[in-house]
Amino acid sequence: MGETILRMEGIEKRFPGVHALQNCHFDLKGGEVHALLGENGAGKSTLMKVLTGVHKKDGGRIVFMGEELGALSTQKTQAMGISMIHQELNLMPHLSAAQNIFIGREPRIGGVFTDEKRLNREAMRLFQMLGLGLDPRVRVADITVAKQQMVEIAKALSFESKVLIMDEPTAALTAREIEELFKIIRDLKARGVGIVYISHRMEELMEITDRITVMRDGAHIKTVETASVTTGELIHMMVGRTIFEQAKESGSAKREVALEVRGLNTRVLKDISFTLHRGEILGFAGLMGAGRTEVARAIFGADTITSGEILIKDRLVRIASPKDAVRCGIGYLSEDRKRYGLALSMTVEENTVLASMKSFSRVGFIRFRETAKTAADYVSMLKTKTPGIRQAVRNLSGGNQQKVIIAKWLVRDCDILIFDEPTRGIDIGAKSEIYKLLSELAAGGKSIIMISSELPEILRMSDRVAVMCEGRITKILDIKEANQETIMEYATQREEKQQSAKEN
Amino acid sequence: MKQYMKYIGLAVVLALFLATGVGCNAMQQMEGGGNEENSDKPYVAVIAKGFQHKFWQTVKKGAEQAAKDLDIRITFEGPDTEAQVDKQVEMLDAAISKNPVAICIAALDSRALLGSLDKAAERGIALVGFDSGVDSDLLVATAATDNTAAAALAADKLAEAIGEEGKVGMVVHDQVSTTGRQRRDGFRERIESTYPNIEIVDIQYGEGDHTQSADVAKAMITANSDLKAIYGSNEGSAIGVMLAVEELNKVGKIQVVGFDSGKKQVDSIRNGDMLGAVTQNPIQLGYKAVEAAYRASRGETVQKEIDTGFEWYDKNNVDSDVIKPLLYD
Amino acid sequence: MKDKEMTAQQILKPSRVFSGQAIQKILAFLTLIVMIVFFSVASPNFFVSDNIISILLATCVNGLLALGVTFVIITGGIDLSIGTVMTFASVMAGVVVTSLGAPLWLGVLVAVVTGGVIGSITGLLVAYLRIPAFIATLGIMMITKGLSLVVSGASPIYFPAEYKEIAVGSLVGKVIPGFSLQNGVLIFFVMAILAGVILNRTILGRYNFAIGSNTEATRLSGVNVAGWLTAIHTLSGIFCGIAGVVMSSRLGSAQPALGQGYELEAIAAVVIGGTSLSGGQGTISGTVIGAFIMSVLTNGLRIMGVKQEWQTVTIGIVVILAVFIDIYRRKKQR
Repeated sequence: MGETILRMEGIEKRFPGVHALQNCHFDLKGGEVHALLGENGAGKSTLMKVLTGVHKKDGGRIVFMGEELGALSTQKTQAMGISMIHQELNLMPHLSAAQNIFIGREPRIGGVFTDEKRLNREAMRLFQMLGLGLDPRVRVADITVAKQQMVEIAKALSFESKVLIMDEPTAALTAREIEELFKIIRDLKARGVGIVYISHRMEELMEITDRITVMRDGAHIKTVETASVTTGELIHMMVGRTIFEQAKESGSAKREVALEVRGLNTRVLKDISFTLHRGEILGFAGLMGAGRTEVARAIFGADTITSGEILIKDRLVRIASPKDAVRCGIGYLSEDRKRYGLALSMTVEENTVLASMKSFSRVGFIRFRETAKTAADYVSMLKTKTPGIRQAVRNLSGGNQQKVIIAKWLVRDCDILIFDEPTRGIDIGAKSEIYKLLSELAAGGKSIIMISSELPEILRMSDRVAVMCEGRITKILDIKEANQETIMEYATQREEKQQSAKEN
Repeated sequence: MKQYMKYIGLAVVLALFLATGVGCNAMQQMEGGGNEENSDKPYVAVIAKGFQHKFWQTVKKGAEQAAKDLDIRITFEGPDTEAQVDKQVEMLDAAISKNPVAICIAALDSRALLGSLDKAAERGIALVGFDSGVDSDLLVATAATDNTAAAALAADKLAEAIGEEGKVGMVVHDQVSTTGRQRRDGFRERIESTYPNIEIVDIQYGEGDHTQSADVAKAMITANSDLKAIYGSNEGSAIGVMLAVEELNKVGKIQVVGFDSGKKQVDSIRNGDMLGAVTQNPIQLGYKAVEAAYRASRGETVQKEIDTGFEWYDKNNVDSDVIKPLLYD
Repeated sequence: MKDKEMTAQQILKPSRVFSGQAIQKILAFLTLIVMIVFFSVASPNFFVSDNIISILLATCVNGLLALGVTFVIITGGIDLSIGTVMTFASVMAGVVVTSLGAPLWLGVLVAVVTGGVIGSITGLLVAYLRIPAFIATLGIMMITKGLSLVVSGASPIYFPAEYKEIAVGSLVGKVIPGFSLQNGVLIFFVMAILAGVILNRTILGRYNFAIGSNTEATRLSGVNVAGWLTAIHTLSGIFCGIAGVVMSSRLGSAQPALGQGYELEAIAAVVIGGTSLSGGQGTISGTVIGAFIMSVLTNGLRIMGVKQEWQTVTIGIVVILAVFIDIYRRKKQR
């Protein structure tokens, strides 16, 4: 490992009403992968945004390559060799890969015309350096998220970056793609690039990083050598308390069938069949793109079903639109809460009753006393942390927003709840609350489908686990026979035909 | 699947497109417009200054009546607004391509049309102007209202009603078109030359739009508390002025003199809220233009200046046999 | 599975990928051809040289406006002022030529510069003062409409007879006798080629797409977004200025009351040509085809003797269809 190339000392940052960073320090050596760990809102991203010049710091010093940096801007830091790959990728989907990499620095002819040939050649050189087989002329919108990320990395590389910051780089990647990314990270390390790696995934941190800095509430907690800590210790440092990871005790008892799906086909799904019992949590595991969300969307009537049957309580139903699904008592909690689950600028009260306005109105006029009472009831029942039911949902934390959505579907009297990534973007502390809530809902007779990319979550919550791969359910495991290895095995079990095609 | 969608998309465009075309033709035949493509009847193209406005629709009626009487085929077109000079040029060009025996044109801007008119004349198409003239020898005749004289008549009637003294305002439909200028100047010059005790306090333009003219008139009334009368230079302007007077509760205190007809204006005159108006004869305008065009195309001599007439009407004669046919709703 | 994996050798070979945009363009082009065939069959007076010339000449003003606003629409913006800016530019030329007695070339220059200056003001409002494009350009529309009346004294300004040569004369006819393509049409074609080069080959074109595709990412990449946005609006304004010259030259006069409503026709042509109103994609060739579809349709229905009310209805249907197909195609791609 090389010299220290970056040192941040006593960094202060205040936003109106929030002391976002308090006396933070951080250092990075050349050829090192240094993780930044902390709950959402701990200040990781803010610290990195100060470094890249997105936010101006209110105090402290930044020393880069032995020089103290003054006022920063994104352009300046990028030119100096500090690049950040944002969680929401900063690409222009309609431009080609090469055009994206060199945006703002295109090779020109006569100062006015773009030199497309040189542009593509240079991009190709970068891709080859990364061992990436990608056509530089392909439109970014037409490639996978993993490839888009590689384009961002190639862009960082083109600045000859000495510091590369990656914010949750694996959030949308499959296991194989993560392997590829790690290979590239190791390669960059060998070239002496210092990498700041922000992630929640403990296994990944353990595998790829050299040191870990834990932050909490805008303050630096501790920097440790990765080799010298355990996951439990890290979690303890992050949340300031110990969380007991308890496993599900028992499998599902034989109970009445709440939902049965027979031979369901859609554009992407092939022959999906499963049953969901009353009071059961059925986990859906699989890699990104395996079709888990599509199953939820098909059952919920959001995607067109080409063939197959859906039975609710042994009665055949026709679900052609979300409206039909809701009438059948199915509620869908999307992974993208902000886009599909909530009206962010509306209040807790308004969101709670949004799906059931009919029962809260008389000839079109809203009965406000009842809506307020219902909202208040659910706030106390689900222990939603909010200053009041008139609070805009935008101002709540992720976990509490999730509770508002749950309340919305409970008010609508749904017996079947489909949770798509229920804890994505939710702090570790709040996660366990959501888990408790799901268990209570199941115990209270609700039937739950839980789609999740986090295997520990699946293993902890589910009674049974349906594993998917490429649009098919490859296996439904009882919780007793399920573990990370078996699930991964079925999650990668492709159809043989495709298997041989891949090998060519 | 994806492949097919493109073709289906294309098929849909074509189907709808053809359906529209066929539908339009069918519609025309149902309406008995008598302008089927393959008809052997002589064809005269009429290009007006406007289209939607009731005035032009009444002109169209006159033109269609003439077509029926003469047993010929006509089309009637006009740009959406009277500002669209270029659209009128395009309409004229398209009309020439259809090889008519004659064209009736109410020019928005006579010079812009000259090139196209030359082309038409070269092909031996008889050209007749109507509504306002084109400064060109190419026209064998022009059928028009003498707007200046008509506006002067309005000025006389207005002066008489206010005892030949006091302040008056003018709301004119626009300052660009010939009719706008003639009706403005005809009125103003008569007042200035004949009635020294009448003062024109303001001339405003409302684009012939009801609400805009009303706003303009209101501002005028508010600014001049002793205003005695307002003149509106066309239907839209007059109705706007009447609206303003009604909304400010000045009916009877401020006299309104208008131009042309239209239901609202005629009603106001009938019940005495409005002093009266000068009407052109839109039916005659359309009729005489088409008649002259057809006759000229057959080599008959036609009068160079065809006056289509104008009349003063107020509550005493609004329902008389002379006036009634000239008014349109 | 969508990404195209390729070796370096393959990459060096030129390959044309059939993109969705290309399909929309082909579709628009086919529609145009089908329309021409349809009208030719429906009326013997449609496909004759005189009428073809009328159509070409009728296309060029709307086409020039559409070319300019294509750039703006690709950024995800909109410009409602193009029609009245065109008018204002022609009025300015008229004043310079008639009142000040300047030579014609100076009048043309004044029109183009006026367009550019107004465009850059629009750009400043939108890019630096962050006024929503719809509002900013609506304001500019009213301002230029009013100024046209003020400057012209509210009556048409008539140019000397030679001025008509700019649009209606034929340079091509002098070189190739018998082929009297009017200069207005020539100007439109030349400007279309120029616009294509600017959009596809220059830095400005690149940033145009980048801003429309993802403004924030473009900003974070160190591109002076506000500056380029202003430049794009200026370019659009210059096209309005040129359109003003062609329009006034064709009419022999600058008509101060004209212009409003032309922006919507131009925008319709752009959209029919497959440019997305949400920004990020669009082509010049599509816009040219779109402009022709508009004028062929108008002229064809007129020649067929379709009643004016139904002409308008038909054009409305075509505009909606074009956008619908575009949306449908996009959905299928996903």
